[in-house]
Amino acid sequence: MPFRWVKSPFPKGTYYFSGNEAAAEGAIAAGCRFYAGYPITPSSELMERIAVRLKEVGGVFIQMEDEIASISATIGASWAGAKAMTATSGPGFSLMQESIGYAAFTETPCVIVDVQRAGPCTGQATKVGSGDIMQAKWGSHGDYQVIALSPWSSQEMYDLTLRAFNLSEQYRVPAMVMADEAVGHLRETIRVAPRVEVWDRKKKKGGAPFDIEGEDGVPPMAAFGEGERLSVTGSTHDAYGFRKTDDPEVHARLVGRINQKILNHKRSIIETEDYLLEDAEVALIAYGFTARTSLYAVKRLRKEGQKIGMLRLKTLWPFSDERVAEVGKKVKRIMVPEMNLGQVAGEVKRCVVCDVISLSQTNGEVIGPELLIETLKKI
Amino acid sequence: MTEIKQVRLSGFGGQGVVLAGLLLGQAGVFDGKYISGSNSYGAQARGSGCKSEIVFSDGPVDFPHLTIADILIAMSRGAYDNYCTDVRTESGLILYDQGFVTPKDNLKVKHLGIPANEVSVKRLKNKQVSNIVFLGALIEATRIVSAGAIRKAISMHVSERFRSLNLKALQAGMELGREFNG
Repeated sequence: MPFRWVKSPFPKGTYYFSGNEAAAEGAIAAGCRFYAGYPITPSSELMERIAVRLKEVGGVFIQMEDEIASISATIGASWAGAKAMTATSGPGFSLMQESIGYAAFTETPCVIVDVQRAGPCTGQATKVGSGDIMQAKWGSHGDYQVIALSPWSSQEMYDLTLRAFNLSEQYRVPAMVMADEAVGHLRETIRVAPRVEVWDRKKKKGGAPFDIEGEDGVPPMAAFGEGERLSVTGSTHDAYGFRKTDDPEVHARLVGRINQKILNHKRSIIETEDYLLEDAEVALIAYGFTARTSLYAVKRLRKEGQKIGMLRLKTLWPFSDERVAEVGKKVKRIMVPEMNLGQVAGEVKRCVVCDVISLSQTNGEVIGPELLIETLKKI
Repeated sequence: MTEIKQVRLSGFGGQGVVLAGLLLGQAGVFDGKYISGSNSYGAQARGSGCKSEIVFSDGPVDFPHLTIADILIAMSRGAYDNYCTDVRTESGLILYDQGFVTPKDNLKVKHLGIPANEVSVKRLKNKQVSNIVFLGALIEATRIVSAGAIRKAISMHVSERFRSLNLKALQAGMELGREFNG
């Protein structure tokens, strides 16, 4: 089997980690042995910790000259056989977009943690935002898929970074952890289990690295140095990596497959959580730190007799169309609180026919319980 | 019913507010609590008003930031003036530095004046440890975490060079807090 249970490299127990530190530990637990990055607020603590930890576990850490070089080195390391990652924030994430497209098209497993801050541009470096959600999906040109997860606690910075590596290896796709400043800097009790489930990319001697009939649509991936003949290119390529830049069939087949290999497995990739939705008339749909505020608000308003619940999106991309549509059929109204101008609210509207209210806040502060509760009382 | 206690430590950047928050949260974890901690960050933490907020809970914490303080530690006058009205009335507690703060008499909140800076400078001969003196007074006056847990947290997060100084400061603070309890 491509997955196995391994002993956690960090001793089992209870710790007091910031989200950024927990993400570094999650990566190490997943088997990450290469990190290339350029420090940027508010993600830098991840880089600081993984620099120390990679040395301890025999991995490689490089500080690059910028984020373009960082993602490129990460992709290169992955093709050399390492589980590799980088981390950044909005401005660096923008610089990485071209190579994220390259990673998607060359089917390179890699993990990018984006600890989002208030944008656009350099914006407010130390302040929170979640304005990179659409960029995660659409940041590079052409049609491709990525996987993007949304942690709401220090514990999930650990769990979801580990999961991002597993999904990335399983589907040969860039996987992103779309954290935000508030979660990255939140220091919480986290539990490290004695054993973790780890996926490794599949290998097959002589197997074509860029096409596969049937199965899951994910070809085996050899690494440079393993004796296989490898050609990796960002131009359209056939099953063995040879450039086919004017063959319409090859192009359509390749683009189709790199999208379908993700979309066909949406059910196992997407994770959502329901809170008090059974009899709800109003549903909050939330993710990241804002889901913490939302859960607090839901519990408070329940005590006052309001029939309200929450759907939490742990996976942002691929989008939870089906679950959102089901919720939309059961409730009268949906509210989507988020620290951007309605990026996920737009996706929700696409899936449902009921009223969707977008609660946006882009002032560099988290959405607090008071604002959310007051707004919910008015609707 | 999950019991939640919210603590805000405040002062100006450089007084060790963030470190004290880290130690307090870490001690809570050692004592088996669910902890959510957040700090001032960036330029704030370096010179101007600075705070560290810890939510202690018996179960998972929904909203992890502080909503109202059950306990306020004010290490500077500015911190006291900014946050003294955000403390829960009746059951709340404010610990303030006697040397810097003149408490307001119209607040319905218990006050405990601690000569933390004076003890730090005159007795311990180091102005940097008044944060730990406050922690000592806090745990003795409230038992929010155990003394063993906070000592273990100091051993974990404070470099060896300053460890015994910090443990002495903790002891001095506990003595001050004991007077309040007694």
